[in-house]
Amino acid sequence: MTRLEYTLDPLRAIFKKEVRRLIRYPGEMVFVFLIPYFLTGLVMAMGISVGGASAFGNFAAQTGSSLNPFVFLMIGTGVWMVSWVIMEGIGTLLREEQMKGTLEQNFLAPINRFLLLVGTALSQIVITSLLFVGVVAVSVLLLAPQGALGLLVAFGILMIGLIPLFGIGFVFAALVVRFKEPYAFTQTMNVLFGVLAGAFYNVTVLPSWVRVVSAAIPQSIVIQDMRLAVESVGSIVGAFGSLIALLTMGLVYPVLGYYFFKQFERRAKISGDLSKF
Amino acid sequence: MDPIEVRSLFKSFTVKEGPVFRKTSKTVSALEGVSFEVKKGEIFGLLGPNGAGKTTTIKTICTLIQPSSGEVYVNGHDVVKDSQRARQDLGVMLTGDRTLYWKLTGRENLEYFAALYHMDRAEAKERIHSLLKLVGLEERQDTLVENYSTGMRMRLSFVKGILHNPPVVLLDEPTMSLDPQSARLIREIIQDLRRDGHAILLTTHYMEEADQLSDRVAVIDHGKIIALAPPRELKETVMKSEVIEIEAQNIDPQIVEKLKGIANISEVVSSIEDASSLRGLIKVHSTDGKNAIPDMLGVLVKGGVEVSNLKIATPTLEDVFISLTGRALRD
Repeated sequence: MTRLEYTLDPLRAIFKKEVRRLIRYPGEMVFVFLIPYFLTGLVMAMGISVGGASAFGNFAAQTGSSLNPFVFLMIGTGVWMVSWVIMEGIGTLLREEQMKGTLEQNFLAPINRFLLLVGTALSQIVITSLLFVGVVAVSVLLLAPQGALGLLVAFGILMIGLIPLFGIGFVFAALVVRFKEPYAFTQTMNVLFGVLAGAFYNVTVLPSWVRVVSAAIPQSIVIQDMRLAVESVGSIVGAFGSLIALLTMGLVYPVLGYYFFKQFERRAKISGDLSKF
Repeated sequence: MDPIEVRSLFKSFTVKEGPVFRKTSKTVSALEGVSFEVKKGEIFGLLGPNGAGKTTTIKTICTLIQPSSGEVYVNGHDVVKDSQRARQDLGVMLTGDRTLYWKLTGRENLEYFAALYHMDRAEAKERIHSLLKLVGLEERQDTLVENYSTGMRMRLSFVKGILHNPPVVLLDEPTMSLDPQSARLIREIIQDLRRDGHAILLTTHYMEEADQLSDRVAVIDHGKIIALAPPRELKETVMKSEVIEIEAQNIDPQIVEKLKGIANISEVVSSIEDASSLRGLIKVHSTDGKNAIPDMLGVLVKGGVEVSNLKIATPTLEDVFISLTGRALRD
């Protein structure tokens, strides 16, 4: 067995196991596909009831986007749902495995234990891709077909955005096991991400100090740049700076996640925390 | 170097107690200078009551817990400095049936763990097939584990522990929750592993199992090994006493305590099996058992204890533990 196979074989197994788990809970899959449609419908109805006949015009003026409002919102809710799924999938992974009793079994294996998080993160690419097709691509092709070419760029941006998002998930995973409150923590952060990332609006409507925080989370950049790409492929060139910021986050956040994970691992070995609920 | 070497192992944990905002920390000592080694082709039994330090010892050997001090080697690999290599040479079955993925089938579980242990795919496939056949799960290999019975999960969990044919095997209560037939099968496989030269560390609550399987037994209590010898030698230490077993109802601990006042009685312990009728077993160690029986019965009957059966029994490893600690293993 080569050194590469030595690492890739367990990674493949973790990936496969997680995909199987996703498939065997089909209700969860249906849920994540429906939620963006429901949320978008809800916000559209609220906007129309407040703005009346001029609602769409006001929306365009406020967001500075020529995109169909439904598509604009679907990109936001779609990315938000991706973020939600990743935080649930990776952020609560260690805690769930700990409560199921399988975390110790994985930690008994002669692998770098961080692979457990990386393999799970890779499995999230599958559900993210499906969400992109079922939510973003469908709405663009139906309501803004001129943005079809931009969909490819948007998908690329989403994939780049996954890297820092995985990093945040790794940090969450370690914190959740430390404080043993998986849902209180991740749900709060998920809602906060929704507010900060501008899933339902352009982040320019936020107060300036909130925009600073918003700029530090990858979801904000991914949502803005995906909207730009679908609106006009050429305009993404102007967003070069934000892509650099996204790539920088992609370098920094996973390292931060690895650091937090190592802290958790060290602490667990000293305290025997792995089997404590 | 022996496959397992444990030298002067100490482990303490910090435990927080008290209300949320006024928690205080205290240090609890789990292991206090545990030392032993397990040789190639040996089954080494670790006996002790709950909380004695058995599981902490096993979890330290399998690298899940870091020792406070001391050294542990698995096949020559230091479990702290070279933990990944130590884990490659270890097969572990921890207590309980929640060590598997319930949403995967039995075969998928084994395939998953085979990959984590870097097994060649073709070799793993063959090994999985033969092991599932060995433990009678061949026909249920494609059933989700959530649909397995507890006994089936335990068998699968055992197979998972020996899947990569490790030279060192740690088994924590391997036959717990198994029906007698399955337990016998697992015991036979453990004996086969010994014949093949594996070093096996076994913890069990079943005294007969420890007695039957172990080449040597260490008795652990309050984090210390208080006796270590082959089962026969350990039992010989209590042979000079007779063990009297009294089955009774309405057992009153205070009356039982009075038995200690009778001449030639060294140890008395009782265990209650049915809390409503206070039915259970009283075990008495005496150097002159036959002559002590009338006095014992007198004390018990006078105290309202209803004796249903009395016999002089052959000493077991449980009696060794009683003689060493004055307590029953399940106290």
